[in-house]
Amino acid sequence: MKSQSPLNEIYKKGLYGDYENKNEENLIKIKELSNLNIFQIVKYKNSKVLTNDLDVDGLKLSEKTNSVMSNGKTRILWFGPNNWLLVSEDQNLFDKVNKNVKETDFAVTDLSNSRTIIEIEGKLTKEVLKKGCPFNFNELNKNNCINSVFHGITITIDMIEDSPEKIRLFALRSFGESLYHSITDASLEFGYQSI
Amino acid sequence: MLYIFCPHCGLRSQNEFAYGGDGSVKRPTLNKEVSDKEWDNFVYNRKSPRGKHVELWHHISGCRQWIKVQRDTVTHEIFKTVSADKEI
Repeated sequence: MKSQSPLNEIYKKGLYGDYENKNEENLIKIKELSNLNIFQIVKYKNSKVLTNDLDVDGLKLSEKTNSVMSNGKTRILWFGPNNWLLVSEDQNLFDKVNKNVKETDFAVTDLSNSRTIIEIEGKLTKEVLKKGCPFNFNELNKNNCINSVFHGITITIDMIEDSPEKIRLFALRSFGESLYHSITDASLEFGYQSI
Repeated sequence: MLYIFCPHCGLRSQNEFAYGGDGSVKRPTLNKEVSDKEWDNFVYNRKSPRGKHVELWHHISGCRQWIKVQRDTVTHEIFKTVSADKEI
């Protein structure tokens, strides 16, 4: 089944944006990612499996708070106690997950079509997020993730790069357009480009 | 605005949490005779204390876990937070 972009109506690559007469160094680059697979893995309460021993696409399910395990193609985000979010470009991810994650110990849910993913890049990315999110962004480093709110919308923030800052935002699909508008509004001060 | 220390995620803004009521209420023991008064107290009757109070909060926009918070209802000072399965 072909997935349809949640931002189909408002995001067009290379169109819109506000970057004329702005300082190019400060421009925020915004894009939507609609080709990623997302799986949520939740460990059952009565399971005695040690998650640190598990291997998913060469990565561990880390129990470290707000951590992200990454191998470039796949990222495993800590989502809460015994709860992880797998995000990957790999179209065969489900098979790889099922190979090592037993259904007697874990619930695996495909969320690929239920999330909007917006990636923002630029040296002032954190300044944009500070306008709507109460988290202390001084504590957010590369390969950290948090769940928080942005203008009242529950979001997951995944910091991919820190120089320049590159951050992925995940929100429920139906909140995608509102989130996109909130992000672009917050970016107007610096200027933004849809890439 | 309050800042609440989530035992799972760290210090977070109150915006990420939902208030869940009195954290000291205990459900009557299962499979035991319960009087109407005991059930009323469990379901409806709540104290409104001035001072230290144990509350339940749900980190609904964070790790989605319930936590217990000991808070002063006058000064809003938060003394301690633990996960919901632990006692303060």
